[in-house]
Amino acid sequence: MAEMDAEVAFKKETVRKLLSTFFKEDKTKLSGEAVLLMAEMLKVFVQEAAVRSQKQAESEDCHQVDIEHFEKILPQLLLDF
Amino acid sequence: MSTDKDENHQRLKAAVHYTVGRLCQKIGEEHRREFSRQAIAAIAETTFRQCDTFAKDLEAFARHGKRSTVSAEDVKLAARRSTALSIYIQKKSEEFNQEQRDLKKNTGKRKSRDTEEESRE
Repeated sequence: MAEMDAEVAFKKETVRKLLSTFFKEDKTKLSGEAVLLMAEMLKVFVQEAAVRSQKQAESEDCHQVDIEHFEKILPQLLLDF
Repeated sequence: MSTDKDENHQRLKAAVHYTVGRLCQKIGEEHRREFSRQAIAAIAETTFRQCDTFAKDLEAFARHGKRSTVSAEDVKLAARRSTALSIYIQKKSEEFNQEQRDLKKNTGKRKSRDTEEESRE
């Protein structure tokens, strides 16, 4: 692990491209601050998914977090975002 | 044309998958629990689709405000469903604005623009 302290996050350019491909109109653009905030939002989304799945696995006394744990927390996760 | 689009799609998916994998690994290490490959793939796929929803929402918000550029305000609106998330995004936005202001000060271009954002309802 070369970058232990380095914060894992989505790259700004990735977020910009990602959102841009989903826009219906080509002329829709993103401000710099919007991209930054969306990167944060996506990070929180993934972290929530991971932590909730992990908790589900814990409650079932499983060593590994598997897809079934994620499936169980998915409905509430989507309601929260 | 459409293969080009597909390729772009695949690349973006791979990028999302990579970051999701790293985030999951980090959380897994903190809790001493490993994430299976399928679990990571499922979270990545969900994140990718959630992006679709976010993008369409943001676009609609911007258009509602008669703009073609998605602003920070639109993102704050997209985070409205959860109070904690909404506060978190608000905080990040203020941090960003503070940084921008400091940057301006350092470069000498001082614009005394006090865009103090009161916590919006």
